[in-house]
Amino acid sequence: MVKLVANNLEMKFGERHIFSVDRLQLSQGQTIHLQGDNGCGKTTLMKLLAGLISPSRGAITAEGFEPLPWWRSNALLGKAVYLHQHPYLFDGSVEYNLSYPHPFCSMTKQQLSERTQTAIEMAELTHLKNQAASSLSGGEKQRLAIARAWIMQPKLLMLDEPTSNMDRFSQDLVLTMISDLQQLGTGMLISSHQSCMLTSLCNQTWIIENQHIMSPYTADSAPINLQEPRYVIAN
Amino acid sequence: MNEGWLALLQQALGLLFSLDPDVWSIVSVSFSVSFAALGITLLPSMILGFLLAFGRFPGRWFVTNLIQTLQSIPTVVIGLLVYLMLTRMGPLGDLRWLFTQKGMILGQMMICAPVLIAMSQAAFTSVDRRAWETSRTLGASWLRAIWTVCRELKVPLLMAIVAGFSRILTEVGCSMMVGGNIADVTRNIPTAIALETSKGDFAQAIALGLVLLILSLVLNFTLGTLRGKAEPRSH
Repeated sequence: MVKLVANNLEMKFGERHIFSVDRLQLSQGQTIHLQGDNGCGKTTLMKLLAGLISPSRGAITAEGFEPLPWWRSNALLGKAVYLHQHPYLFDGSVEYNLSYPHPFCSMTKQQLSERTQTAIEMAELTHLKNQAASSLSGGEKQRLAIARAWIMQPKLLMLDEPTSNMDRFSQDLVLTMISDLQQLGTGMLISSHQSCMLTSLCNQTWIIENQHIMSPYTADSAPINLQEPRYVIAN
Repeated sequence: MNEGWLALLQQALGLLFSLDPDVWSIVSVSFSVSFAALGITLLPSMILGFLLAFGRFPGRWFVTNLIQTLQSIPTVVIGLLVYLMLTRMGPLGDLRWLFTQKGMILGQMMICAPVLIAMSQAAFTSVDRRAWETSRTLGASWLRAIWTVCRELKVPLLMAIVAGFSRILTEVGCSMMVGGNIADVTRNIPTAIALETSKGDFAQAIALGLVLLILSLVLNFTLGTLRGKAEPRSH
C-alpha cells in the first residue's frame, strides 16, 4: 500500500510562517477533507505532498511506490497527482489533454485507450473531443482535468477546491469520477471551504488552524527509519 | 518619373525571375550565413533565457541588464569588436576568419544572441506556473516538462526567433566590417543593397530588397496565423 508520511514538517515563505506539523500520514484508501481559512496553506500542503515544492524543514517520505529509474529523483511526481483549483489545460484539443499523461502511465495502449474513452464519456465531453480545451467553460475544464487524472488512476490524488464555481450537473459528474477512484483505492485529499457532495465521501478531516495542521494521529504509523531503501525522501 | 520606377521594378523582377546568378549568389550568402548564426545561437540562447527566467543565482540581475543593453548596441560597434578580435593582432587572429563567412557568422551570433536571450527570458517569465506543475504532477520528466512549457510558449518563442533572424539578416554594419563585401564570398543582401545603391544600380538593390520584403511578409503572416489560433488563456 502506498503511504505518504510527513515528519516535523514546517513551511515558510520568507519570514512568513505558514504552518507546521509533527506528523501527517496520507495512505491509499483514505479520503480526507482538508479544511482551513483562505491563505492558511491548504494549497501549499497539497503541493508539498504532491512533490511539487519542498518543505522549509522536515521530510516527506513515500512508501510503496515502484522503484524509480536513475533519472527520476522524486517518487511523488506522477503518482501523487495534484489538481489545481483552476486546472491548467494544455494548448490543444480535449483529446490531446486527455492523452497527455499516456506516456507516463504504466498501462498498455489498449488499457489507456479504453480508459480514455470511458473518461471522456464519464465527463460528458464526447461531443467536445476535438474542440480546443481553451474554449471550454469553467465546469467543463474542471471535468476534463479530473477525467485526465482519472485515466491515470493515481495512487494518491490532491483535489484543490474541485467543485468551486461548478453547477450541479458538473458536480454530479465529478462526484461519479471521484467515487470511482475512491473505490479503486486512490487515497484522496480534498480541500473545500464548505461541506459539499464531494466532502461527504471523506472519512477523515484535517484542519489547518493557527498555523498548525490538526489530524488524527494514527496508531499504525510507527516511527519510520529513513535509511530503509523502501522509503524515498521527497524533500 | 513613374515610368522610371516601373522600369526599375520590372528590371528587378526580371533579375529575380530569370534567376540572375549575381542576385541569387548574394541571397544564398545572406541566408547561409544568417541561418548558420541562428542555428548555432538558438539552443544556448534559449537555455540561458530559461535559466534567467527561472534560476535564482547571484549575478542574475546583472546578466539580465547586460543582455538588455547588448540588444541595443549598434551593429557597427559589434562589427568593430569582432574586427578587432579577428584582426591579425587580435586574440582570434590565428583563426584567419576576417573577411570570411565564418567571421560574419561570429559577428551575427553576437548580434542575434542578446535578442534571443532577452525575448525568450521574457517569454519564459510570462509562462503560467501551472503549466510546469501540471506537466510534472502528471508524471512528465524534467526534460519533457520543459518541452511542454516551450510548446505552450510557441508563439512568443517563435517571435523571438523571427526577431533575432530579422536583425541579423538585415544588419549592414557588422557584415560590411567583418565580411568586407567580397563578391560571391561575403557579399550579402544588406551590403549589396548599400553598394549597388551607391553605384546607382537600383534594379539589383530593389530585387534584393524585394527578397527581404517577401521574407518578412511570409514570416509575419505565419506568426500572425499562429497568434490568431492561440486563444487568450483564462482560468
